[in-house]
Amino acid sequence: MSGRAILDVADLWVGFPSYRQATQHALRGIDMRIAPGEMIGLVGESGSGKTTLARAVMGLVPPPGVIERGHVLFGGRNLAALGDEERRKVLGRELAMVIPNPRAELNPVQTVGRQISNIAFYHLGATRKEADRIALDMLRAVRIPDPERRFAAYPHELSGGMAQRVVIAIALVCSPKLVISDDATSGLDVTVQAQVLDLLQTMVREKGAATLFITRDIAITAHFCTRIAVIYAGEIVEIAETRSFFARPRHPYSIMLLAAFSHNPALRAKWTRSEESRRATAAGGCAFAARCVRRQPRCEQEAPPLRPSATGHEVRCHFPVEAAA
Amino acid sequence: MHLLRYIGRRILFVIPQLFGIILVSFFLVKLIPGDPAVMMLGPTASEESLHDLRDKMGFTKPLISQFVRYLHDVVRGDLGTSWQTTQPVTEDLFQRFPATLELITFGLLLAIAIGFPLGIAAARLKRGPVRKFADYYGLLAGAMPDFWLALVLIYVFYTKLNWIPAPLGRIDMAVVPPPTVTGSLVIDSLLAGDLDALSSSFGHLILPVLTLGLINAGPILKMTQSTVERTLASDFVRYAEMCGLPRRVVLRQAIRAALPSIVTIVSVLYGFLIGGAVLVEIVFSWGGAGQYAVQGVLNADVNPVLGFVVFSAVLSLIIYLLVDLLYFALDPRMRG
Repeated sequence: MSGRAILDVADLWVGFPSYRQATQHALRGIDMRIAPGEMIGLVGESGSGKTTLARAVMGLVPPPGVIERGHVLFGGRNLAALGDEERRKVLGRELAMVIPNPRAELNPVQTVGRQISNIAFYHLGATRKEADRIALDMLRAVRIPDPERRFAAYPHELSGGMAQRVVIAIALVCSPKLVISDDATSGLDVTVQAQVLDLLQTMVREKGAATLFITRDIAITAHFCTRIAVIYAGEIVEIAETRSFFARPRHPYSIMLLAAFSHNPALRAKWTRSEESRRATAAGGCAFAARCVRRQPRCEQEAPPLRPSATGHEVRCHFPVEAAA
Repeated sequence: MHLLRYIGRRILFVIPQLFGIILVSFFLVKLIPGDPAVMMLGPTASEESLHDLRDKMGFTKPLISQFVRYLHDVVRGDLGTSWQTTQPVTEDLFQRFPATLELITFGLLLAIAIGFPLGIAAARLKRGPVRKFADYYGLLAGAMPDFWLALVLIYVFYTKLNWIPAPLGRIDMAVVPPPTVTGSLVIDSLLAGDLDALSSSFGHLILPVLTLGLINAGPILKMTQSTVERTLASDFVRYAEMCGLPRRVVLRQAIRAALPSIVTIVSVLYGFLIGGAVLVEIVFSWGGAGQYAVQGVLNADVNPVLGFVVFSAVLSLIIYLLVDLLYFALDPRMRG
């Protein structure tokens, strides 16, 4: 954890001002550091702030959102403070994004070969011919069958898995320092998903990039992340080394996420409140209190800080779980 | 191959479409009250001579057989005769359609030249004077009648400033028109290298084209603005930004994706203006096809009206076919 971090997020608050109500906070004091080459998994449900974090890292918080406090430093620079032109030189080159829905997000009227080639052309200063050759090499590298023919294909002519490979190729053309994968495989069939994930992992390792792997599916992270961070309602509730996390999760929400995959209904029942409610907890309390099976009076009054625990986890809970069963 | 088959099928469909158009317009035109025989012979004509004339023109037969007769002639390329000009309608229309097409083609080109860049600028800059100007322009162009703008322009540039020749027709009476090649006097004068004819026809063309251009830039502006705004906010543009592509490249991609909608609005305007430019034609005594058709309606001269409908229908069908081919070129998803 010590040493030069490629990504340094400190006490990051992102708020969405709203006309009638109080400002909604998508991120509430996120702290996260990623070392070069590290793969960190960020797990959370929809609306927990995962994507906002990704956008904040790129310096592209969607309007009307604003960074209210804290900072994001990528390679020591604050991308949000850079001018558009300066930021553009970093995005796609040093910091690349793998998107979840490539057939909607690739340009529908441009061949995929051209779209990969564009990255090399505009970021690496390659000639068009070199860029096309690089693009073809990338198509081979992501193991797309018949790459010469696929080079001239349009996104709608590719399968979801194939399009996802194209997106990985686009992300890795410039050998970035950090790859953010935002729910990248959620739209794929499970078997294809495994292949694409393997590919992403191999390619990222080859290029020596760090990865922020954002997902709703905690099972995916187990395979290749070095650390796992669990985010709930804009806060990181637990962060730990992968092995230790899966062996002994400490936060009730982490356990709930893991229990959801369990074959043991009793375990699921034990960690999920029967009267499941997503109502916001009263101000000042723990954000998870309303859904927590271990809720105590103190949880409703006092928000817990993220505290290091004996097992090397950092946990945001007054009563971290000692041994999950 | 695929494309050729598509075009072939489209052209095949033109026949039933034309039949339907002629069927509907024939009976609609026949519903218009007015007796051409009275118009031709005057109010003092005897009942007997009126009846003879009606009989000669075939108006005493049942409507159905009149229709069959008309269809029969149309298939041979005969659209009948106009009693006003005493010429075959086909001949009249071939004289007048180029005038209308010249007017609306240049008018729409000007409208695109104004509306397209302004729409893009307004879509990019959500605030500021350009956006304000575009908003007001769209509103004004939509609210202003074209004939009124034409009259204002004539008042300013002819009556007051006297910069342009009198708004009567397409070329000065004293100037010999160039030999017909394209039907557009401006282009034909250019081709013939006839500077006198060029300056005269250009001088006559400029105000009606300005009128149509200024008015029709409104819808093109609005369409460009809203579509480019939408594509600029679309997923693939956001992704292109995340990939750090230069701004101008992203903008170009967004505009490229907006082109089909803009082509659509331009083609709709073109089809509409074939008949819709008639008020401007009248103000400038342009002698175009729309004017000819309106004269026909006013004087119970049925054949010019029907002939105009057939001509515009064929023209519209050609335009829509061209537009579909353009879609093919613009959007690979259409190629299937």
